[in-house]
Amino acid sequence: MATAWTGLAAHVTAPPAVPSVFGGGANVVAVLVLLLEFGMFRQTLLRDQIRLYAAQSAAVSVLAVIVATAKNVPELYVLAALSAALKVVIVPLVMRRVLRGAGEEIAESGTLGVASLGRGGGAGASTLLLAIAVGAFGFFTVGTLGIAGVTLPETALGLAMAVVLVAFVLMIVRRDVVSQAIGFFSLENGISLAALVIAAHMPLILEVAFLFDLLVAVVVFGVLIRVHHGRGQSLSTAELTRLRG
Amino acid sequence: MASGTLPIPAIQALQVVTVAAAAPGVSGVIAKVEARLQGRRGPRILQPYYDLAKLCRKEALAPEGASWFFLAAPLVAVTCYLTVPLLIPVLTSYPLPLGYMGDILGGGFILALASFVVAVAALETGSPYAQMGSSRAKTFGAIAEPVVLFVVFTVALVTGTDLPYALAATVRSSAGQIVRPAHLLATAALFMVILYETGRIPVETHTGTNEFGMIEEARPFEHSGPYFALLKWGSAMKQLILFTILLNVFVAPWGLAATARPGDVVLAIAALVGKAIALGVVIAVIDNSFAKLRLFKITEFAAGAFLLAVLGVFTLYLGGG
Repeated sequence: MATAWTGLAAHVTAPPAVPSVFGGGANVVAVLVLLLEFGMFRQTLLRDQIRLYAAQSAAVSVLAVIVATAKNVPELYVLAALSAALKVVIVPLVMRRVLRGAGEEIAESGTLGVASLGRGGGAGASTLLLAIAVGAFGFFTVGTLGIAGVTLPETALGLAMAVVLVAFVLMIVRRDVVSQAIGFFSLENGISLAALVIAAHMPLILEVAFLFDLLVAVVVFGVLIRVHHGRGQSLSTAELTRLRG
Repeated sequence: MASGTLPIPAIQALQVVTVAAAAPGVSGVIAKVEARLQGRRGPRILQPYYDLAKLCRKEALAPEGASWFFLAAPLVAVTCYLTVPLLIPVLTSYPLPLGYMGDILGGGFILALASFVVAVAALETGSPYAQMGSSRAKTFGAIAEPVVLFVVFTVALVTGTDLPYALAATVRSSAGQIVRPAHLLATAALFMVILYETGRIPVETHTGTNEFGMIEEARPFEHSGPYFALLKWGSAMKQLILFTILLNVFVAPWGLAATARPGDVVLAIAALVGKAIALGVVIAVIDNSFAKLRLFKITEFAAGAFLLAVLGVFTLYLGGG
């Protein structure tokens, strides 16, 4: 009986090869990272946005562990533990403290949110479509480069690029400091993901140096948010127009 | 024909009969579970059957000025719902002869036709609530339809064809097929569409009496008697058909009959009903754990499903999905 439809299938294009269980599973985690980026993109409550960032960082760490186990790269365990400690625990803690000091809960209305059906602070359907288009651009651009990763399938690299670009859109569309900071941090998550694909064997000291970069960024952003809030009594960047030429 | 096997046309007919007969029961179980989760006793599981029987004994009325289409619509809709089970794997893992009449897209078109006919009948009535319901259903449907299209594209890219039987066989073939992101994303997108299409909680209150939140439920407001019974039965069948597509094609294409032996077919019927009830319980839990979305947020829900489906197609393009 099974021959009936295989005969029919012969008329159409042959299906692409099935990825291995490891490749599929790794790609699922990479897709999760991108989906959490989109979740941050439309989340209005700043507290939940930070929570989503923590989840995304956890997903990246899990992916590092998967690669470490499957491809036998023991340094990645250390990296995963360090990045989990920093990005899942410390950064969200710091951001939450900053937020508590500011006493604001809901993100400022986005620059493009008006045109969409979903009003309010979050991104509506139209900005979501914009983000999908930008993410797709990144995805297919990487596809044309033809970079084959050593440890992870190429799709994960495309997804990493999409995460970076969607984080860019998030930073551009949002008009409050906390969302922009979170966008910046999640951009770093995208870069970590790309590093896992292309350069999983990178020396550990370099990777740790990148994590310290992130720590510096957190401190700088924390100070910026506090100063900004101290001056304008709000987290919005809408009033930052004085230096316009 | 070997002795001890059912004739193939009989199995084909049995697919339709199974869906038609089990659909109200599945709805009854979901209603019961939902009630138990809320701490109520809830209606009997067989209540939908009694409701249908009662409605069939009642008088049928049509609003003044409604044309013949108003009364024909429930019949057309039910005919559509009875046609779709011929196209999808309800009981067997091997394709039945009429399964080639249409692919997943064809099944989707027939379901859309049924929904369209009901919407037009609702417009016929001139009743504000029925019209509002059908207008909303069509507005949000315009966003939900592309999701279905992209799910079909994913299936087509994965299998090289878009016959539901082929995808079910592909999913059964290896674990690599199940964990690939394209499959998971398409499944999740389809699940969200099913929540939308069956009028479940993030989108619509299923059992409420508040007309302002209604979409699907408002459309048969003006129908009565046997015609109303047909519409209710039809929406129960639509629910079971969508469940069957999700379960037997995407999530769990196991437990289907591989032969034409009566024992296998009976087992397949039991497996289908069991799986549908399990899915129904999941949906009842979702129903009780989320709040209904504001009407204008439904587009975001649909846009979320669209994102999943589009990502599914994307991941396939670089060969890794």
